Formats: sequence, structure tokens, C-alpha cells
Amino acid sequence: MIEVRGLKKAYGPRLAIDDVTFTVGKGEIVGFLGPNGAGKTTTMRILTGFIPATEGEVRVAGFDVFEEPYAVRERVGYLPETPPLYPELTVGAYLEFCAELRRVPRAIRSVRVGATMERVGLRGWEGRLLGSLSKGYRQRVGFAQAILHDPPVLILDEPTSGLDPAQVAGIRELILSLAGTHTVILSTHILSEVEALCPRAVVINRGKLVAQGTIPELRAGAPGGAWTYVEVRGIDGPKLGKLPGVEVVEPLGNVEGWEAWRVRAAGDPREMLAARAAAGELQLRTLERRMPSLEDAFIAMVGREGGPA
Amino acid sequence: MSAVYTIWKKEMRVYAVNPTAYAFLAVFLFLSGLFFYLGITLTGEASLRVLASNLAIAELFILPMLTMRHFAEERRQGTLEMLLTSPISPTSLVVGKWLASMTLCAFMFLGTGVLPVILAYYGDPDWGVVASTYVGLFLAAGAFCAAGLFSSTLLDDQLAAGLIGILLLLPFWLVSRAEALVGDELGEKLQPFGVLRHLDGFGRGVIDSADVYYFVAMAFCFLLLTTRSLESRRWR
Repeated sequence: MIEVRGLKKAYGPRLAIDDVTFTVGKGEIVGFLGPNGAGKTTTMRILTGFIPATEGEVRVAGFDVFEEPYAVRERVGYLPETPPLYPELTVGAYLEFCAELRRVPRAIRSVRVGATMERVGLRGWEGRLLGSLSKGYRQRVGFAQAILHDPPVLILDEPTSGLDPAQVAGIRELILSLAGTHTVILSTHILSEVEALCPRAVVINRGKLVAQGTIPELRAGAPGGAWTYVEVRGIDGPKLGKLPGVEVVEPLGNVEGWEAWRVRAAGDPREMLAARAAAGELQLRTLERRMPSLEDAFIAMVGREGGPA
Repeated sequence: MSAVYTIWKKEMRVYAVNPTAYAFLAVFLFLSGLFFYLGITLTGEASLRVLASNLAIAELFILPMLTMRHFAEERRQGTLEMLLTSPISPTSLVVGKWLASMTLCAFMFLGTGVLPVILAYYGDPDWGVVASTYVGLFLAAGAFCAAGLFSSTLLDDQLAAGLIGILLLLPFWLVSRAEALVGDELGEKLQPFGVLRHLDGFGRGVIDSADVYYFVAMAFCFLLLTTRSLESRRWR
């Protein structure tokens, strides 16, 4: 539903987006991940046709964004980083305006506005002025605006930024309710959000694509890959390090009188360690294979400093 | 067409609760009353002649301030992004906003409607002249609002946009006095571009097609520039 090929965007001599290529399939929810200033908003604005690309091809819902902008606009719902609201209007008047703007047929307009308000938890808020709403409710209205015309493609720019945990949970539930029927691309720099919502993610940094894949694939991409967590007694670090296959051991401290270690080995060292424990060479309480966290993988990809070039 | 109506309706709703709109309405009505009073006491005529020429100049300053928020504010609020990524054309957007500001102008002129009534009470005004004066002022308002909308697309800051709008319009006023600035010969050539010259006829009860074309063309050019300015985002 979304195809981006060789996308470049230059602001003067500076490349904000440099040769980015990715696709999002129908009904998928894909996370667009990157540190602040990586080019997420720029990419999303190009996807919606708000700003033009310098180079490359972008197709949304089967239409070229530059050649057929109106066909794309009709099929896209867009929630910019700050919800686009008129403080002078009431919630009801605003959503009615959006429905007209999005060409929701007159006959179903009020029903659709009502159903959307119900869906985002705004029932009974028709008469409130947008300017008087709290951040969480503004975000809900912004979200309502994006899904009002039931677009097949949704582009959400940091949909949960600045919300409290309960509001975040609410918005996430809404996004998950769209899975399967809608194609969603959502940008964020919050890793737990991607893990909670998106089976797949695209990672960019400094305008360049650094990785894309499913969350387990991305996690496996962290340096060192999977490792083994052990809690042992009766063996010290150097000895542990000399066991067959073991490459690196790092101490993780004392846990209730047991020494915890991070063991990296060629292959999976669990059987070997269990056998040694059975042979009485060491006492073993915990033996666990662990994947690197998405955070480890992310930091490895974008570097600790991240940020714009 | 329905897109234009959608925008117009939204703008009218925003105007209805916008204190700035009321403030400018009040200023306009105050100035109208003042010019009317001065005109009557200075000339002793039962006419709107003095009022009309002064009100045209007042429009030149007030209307850009009234339209300054249109695009500057939309951009600041992030709503311009929503409008320009929705399936309506920039032309509908511009025309809708222009018609909304013209509707407000119509209310302004309606508010001055009491003045001819006063004239009729004390004297015997020529109703044809009164009507043509209003036509002229309304045409000028159309051109000035269009210029204000254009300047509003240029800057994010409302007030700066409003001032730029006034700056854009000032030459159209000043060329009426161009002889004093650039000498008789060039001044004579610049005269036809002046706003006051084209309002003269309306004030005398003559609706000359050349004068109508002048204001219509000015409005059209500025509206076209506004649309182009919005679209230019696509190749900036």
C-alpha cells in the first residue's frame, strides 16, 4: 500500500532524506523508528504530498504521490505531530468541517462523525471548544480527524507523544483496532511503542535507512546477538571463561548470594553448562537464553548520540 | 463549489468567535461615523462624497489586518498541513477564504447603512449616487482583501503579514499623488493605477466598466498570486 523507492529530499545542500526505500503491505502496521531529527516527519510529509521529494518514487494506495496527489489524499488519513485544530471551533463543528473537507457523503456525515467520536472516546464532547481541551483530548480529536473518512491508509506522526500512560494505552488500543483493515505507518522514537504495536519496523537515522524488518529480526541484529544469562556458585569468572566454546563473560553482579554472568559463546552453551553442573564442577541456579533488547539493537544502529547530522 | 462553501462556512464560524474581527468592525464603523460627520459639517452637502474617499483609504489599512490571520494562523496552528493534504484544491481554499472576508465586509457596509438613512432624514440625497458609492467601496474591498490574503501566505507571523499587506497596497494609493513625488509627466502616466482615481466615478454616480475592471482585475491577480504562493510549496 505504501511504496517508497530511492527517496531523497534536499534542503539546500543538506540531504534530509538520503536514498530511503521501504514498503508497507496492505493491512500492516509498521513502525517508523528513528531518533529525533532523523527525518521521520519529513518522510511522512512527503508521503501525504504536503512537501515534494527531490528525487525518488512514492506510491500510496497504488497512486503516485506527485502525479496523482488528489487520488492519494482521498485515501489517506493523516495525523501530524501536533493535531491540526482550530481553537475557536467546537469538537462537533470541527469534525463536521473535516468530514466535509474529506468528502464524506452528506447522507452519512452526522452518523459517521458520531460513530468516530464514540470510537475515540469523545462522546458527549461535541460542544466543547477545541481551545479548551487538554492534550490527551486534542490528540483524540486529531485521531478522529484522521480516521473520519475511513481511509485505507493512515499516516500517524508520533501519535502518543506527550500523553500520560492511560492516554497512551487508549491511543494504542485504537491503533491496534485498525490492524488488518487499515494500512498504518506510525513514526515514533519510543521503542516500547513499536514493540507493542508494530510487527515490523523501518529504522532511519540522519536521513538514511539503517534497518528494516520484524521486531525479532531487528533485535537479533544487535552486536553479539543472543546471549546466555547464568546464576552460578563455586566458579569464578576466569574459569567460566575457559569452558569450551565460551568467548566472553561479563559480570552482572550478585543476586541473592549467586553470581550472575552474561555469557557469550560460539553456539548455544546451555547444554554444556548444564552438563558441567551435573558433573559437580559448578552450582547452577538459573540458565537462560536471552535476545538483545530492541533498545540494544536501536542504539547499535543509530549510535548513542543519534540525532541530526 | 461545495469545497468553497465548506471553507467559507468554517471561516465564518471562526470569525463569529474571533474578537479581532469584532475589533476591526468597530474601528471601521467608528471611522465611518467620523468621516460622515466631518463630511457633512465641512461641505454642508447631503452626500457621502467625503465619507467614500476617506473610507477607501481606511479600507486599505483595515482589510489587510482583517485578512492577515488567514494563512499565517493556519500555518502556525498546523492546520494548513491538514487543508493542503485534504482533497480540496488550493483555489477552492483561497476563494472560500476570500468570500468569507467579503461576507464580513458586507456586514461592515451594512453597519454603515444607518448613515444614508440619516442623510435622508435631514436632506435629499441622490440614491443612485449612494448606491454606486457602495458598489465602488465594495469592489475596492474585494481587491484589498485579496491583497491581504496574498500577504498572509508570505509570512508565518500574522502582524508582519498584515503590515506587508498594507505595504503592498500603499503604492495604489500614493500614485494618486504621484505628480508631487516624481514630477508631472511620469505622475500623469501613473495616475491610472491609483485606487482613488477609479473610485471617483462611483462617487459621482457613474459606474464605468473600466473602473469595475480595474478592481476586478486587481482582486483576480492577487487571488491568483495567493494560490500560486500556496502551491509554490510544491517546488520549494
